[in-house]
Amino acid sequence: MPASGADALKPSAFLPVCTATCLLVGATSLFFVFTCPWLATTICPAVPPCCAILFLFVLANFTMATFMDAGVLPVASEDEDKDDGFRAPLYKNVDIKGVQVRMKWCASCHFYRPPRCSHCSVCDHCVEDFDHHCPWVNNCIGRRNYRYFFLFLLSLTFHMVAVFTFGLIYVLHHMNDLWKLHFTVTVVVISISGLFLLPVLGLTGFHLYLVSRGRTTNEQVTGKFQGGVNPFTQGCCNNMEYLVCSPISPKYMARPCKKRIVHVQPPFLRPGLDQQMPMKVGDNGLHTLALENKVCTVELSDIKQMKNPPPLPPKPDRGLLKSHAAADGTTVTASNDFFVLMLLSSILCFSQLLKASEQQANIKGPDLCSGFRESPVRGIHQGSVSVQPPLQPNTVYSSLPLNSRSLALKHSCRYGSKSQLPAMQSDGWRSSPPRGIFTSSTVLANQSSNDGPPFNNFINPTEPQLMSQRGAPSVNFHSHFMVLGSDRSVQCPPPHSYSPVFMGVTRQSPQARDSSLRDLVSQDTTLPKSAAARYDNFSKTIMASINERRELEERERMLHLQARSQAHYCADVGIYDIPSKRSLVPDNAGPSGSRGPTPPAYGSREFLMSTGILTYGMRTSPLSNSSTLSLTHGSKTSSSPLQNCSNSSLQNKGKSSSPAYCSSERQTQAVPSSTSTLPRLTSTNSSAPPYTSYATAKRSSLPFPSEGKESVTLGALK
Amino acid sequence: MLSSMKEGCHDPKTKQTQLLKPGRRTKASGVFHNLQEMQHCASLVTKVFIQRDYSEGTVCRFQTKFPSELNIRIERTLLEETVKTLNSYYMEAEKIGGQSYMEGCLACATAYIVFLCMETRYEKVLKKISGYIQEQNEKIYAPRGLLLTDPVERGMRVLEVSIFEDQGSAGSSPSSTLSSDSSAR
Repeated sequence: MPASGADALKPSAFLPVCTATCLLVGATSLFFVFTCPWLATTICPAVPPCCAILFLFVLANFTMATFMDAGVLPVASEDEDKDDGFRAPLYKNVDIKGVQVRMKWCASCHFYRPPRCSHCSVCDHCVEDFDHHCPWVNNCIGRRNYRYFFLFLLSLTFHMVAVFTFGLIYVLHHMNDLWKLHFTVTVVVISISGLFLLPVLGLTGFHLYLVSRGRTTNEQVTGKFQGGVNPFTQGCCNNMEYLVCSPISPKYMARPCKKRIVHVQPPFLRPGLDQQMPMKVGDNGLHTLALENKVCTVELSDIKQMKNPPPLPPKPDRGLLKSHAAADGTTVTASNDFFVLMLLSSILCFSQLLKASEQQANIKGPDLCSGFRESPVRGIHQGSVSVQPPLQPNTVYSSLPLNSRSLALKHSCRYGSKSQLPAMQSDGWRSSPPRGIFTSSTVLANQSSNDGPPFNNFINPTEPQLMSQRGAPSVNFHSHFMVLGSDRSVQCPPPHSYSPVFMGVTRQSPQARDSSLRDLVSQDTTLPKSAAARYDNFSKTIMASINERRELEERERMLHLQARSQAHYCADVGIYDIPSKRSLVPDNAGPSGSRGPTPPAYGSREFLMSTGILTYGMRTSPLSNSSTLSLTHGSKTSSSPLQNCSNSSLQNKGKSSSPAYCSSERQTQAVPSSTSTLPRLTSTNSSAPPYTSYATAKRSSLPFPSEGKESVTLGALK
Repeated sequence: MLSSMKEGCHDPKTKQTQLLKPGRRTKASGVFHNLQEMQHCASLVTKVFIQRDYSEGTVCRFQTKFPSELNIRIERTLLEETVKTLNSYYMEAEKIGGQSYMEGCLACATAYIVFLCMETRYEKVLKKISGYIQEQNEKIYAPRGLLLTDPVERGMRVLEVSIFEDQGSAGSSPSSTLSSDSSAR
């Protein structure tokens, strides 16, 4: 009786177990002495040995059930529960095979009781897989000794049945010798066995039922899974198998272990940033582009170390780099939100281009990587990427932006949600690699102009000047987002809103852009910070419909754009000279200089969420930061829930490209996740595999449309 | 199994002789008067607990989610690899198969006396796990100022990662040598 509690050590606690022991041993001994000789001679000589073996089995199981540690969990150390102070919740929810199970805080043991664990008030300790505290053995019945308790019950039942039966036979054969000692003893024995047979039989039957249902006594009595699904059952046969054949789990208390010492002496190694970046690049799934990975790694490290802006648009880049550097910031101005959108759009375009380039085996090299890597950095500031008129063909840059964007697209595809595609389409022209990606935007603009009229309502009316002016197409884009955000209630934005066609239509004059940009900024700042629910609600309803139409449009567009893509590549260096953008950059860099694109985007997140790009943004920005700059590590953590959510949702949903899945998955995952450490979604075990799987799924799901998009974005960017 | 670095805190100025005579640490404000002081340079800062993953029931699995506090201390893949290996060990230990059948039958046949003579399969795997954790600590985690604690010591509820900081760069007074020992409770 390894009871440690005060109650278990009381003299009164030993009474039942002593009684049970005395009855069992005494009665059986009398049976063997007085009844078995006649049974051996009269019925069969094998009867006493069999009964003896059975009795030995009963004793062995009884001893194990009495003295074996039931699976007592040691009390948690103080370090473990220092975070779970007075503000810690009493219950924590954990998802077990789709069923919400509650873990209660144990005030005595200072930890959240694992599932099926319960605190025994008699023994004053928590027991794993707690069944009940059995007074007849004065011990808790739990994970480690339930098997022995059950076998004890089973064998005791058979033993009692055997003793009762054979004793009855003896009594019936010796009715003439009523007053003989043997007869009297046998009558006493069968009386005892008969008296306790019914309760023991009932208890055995009850535990047979529990085992078949996969429940413990505690769960049965408290009615935990009475009406619901029991996540712990594996079926009747498997439950029996688990009961009888599972390995004995280890004892946690008083483990005899040899003392091993590991000295921890400084100086300590630290994970290098440049070492991390290759790993992250690898985790991003750029396996097929080994060369680009290496080059991109180098480029990433170079960019990471760059505190000064890249050659093109210095001021915006500087500010952008700073914002990237402190990616986990939360104080973001609306300008940063805008830039985040630009970044996202650029990344989306790149990812699309990357896919196209892969398929076309047209991937080119290092400068593309750098361009790609720099573009997200610069992209935000380049939010005002203006759309060059398509009349500036620049075949020199045709392949470079295409490849860089391809890499970007590929990179973004690793992390982006399915909503990338619409965003990419619309943002394709936003991205601003140093070499200019405005040709694609111009292509988009061209195309959009064809479909312009229907979308005029979503944009500022000064469309005609769009093509010829540098400005903030992103502003228009933002206004588009803003419209979507404001129209979130509409729930039905036109799918074309994400298409290049639409984006082309939304291009505005610089003045209009500036004003709309400022409007956008102001709106960004006014947006509520937490829009998770809104995002979920909005994207679910919108993105599903959008994606369907988008995919169809992609295919159609691809055919058109591929023909045009080469003709529309042109660099637009002047895009970086947008005064409005530059004026905004210092403002962004100043107050939120330490913040990266992802955290700053709380305001723009509203738009992103409304457009379903948030998951992509959340995923890409920190990942971009980590892979491109790795200046902060906190950004990943801050966006990891969404990342994990998006990734896991994408992983779970496979080929689906709807951000609605992401949101729905996030909802389902957010609820059951254990909050013991951090409020993260625990559905994803690791962040790397979801990225990979997502990349795979995304690639496989959208090979064809991506080509179209890539060509479109190429043209637009050029 | 001892794995210790007797150099103590690095003192570039007195590399050769810091073990023999009191050396003055360049970073700390205090002076080490004996070897013992020089050796104790790391102090426990905090502990990170990797919780159990109950998504598949009560089988022993630990979450492979990377704690954010360890972002700056260790590469993500290393810790994930360790946790995945531990999970595979526990899965092997809890596997219901031929060996567990034989163990059960033998135990029944011998009235469980065999448990006094032979250790169970689970215990054997636990020893393997303990050795693996020790090796990981020596090779990977201790050089990074981290220390893993065998989950069995915590009732298989958490995988405890202790984070140490270089006391020498922060302050003057040395702290005790940090050791990971699985001792009887």
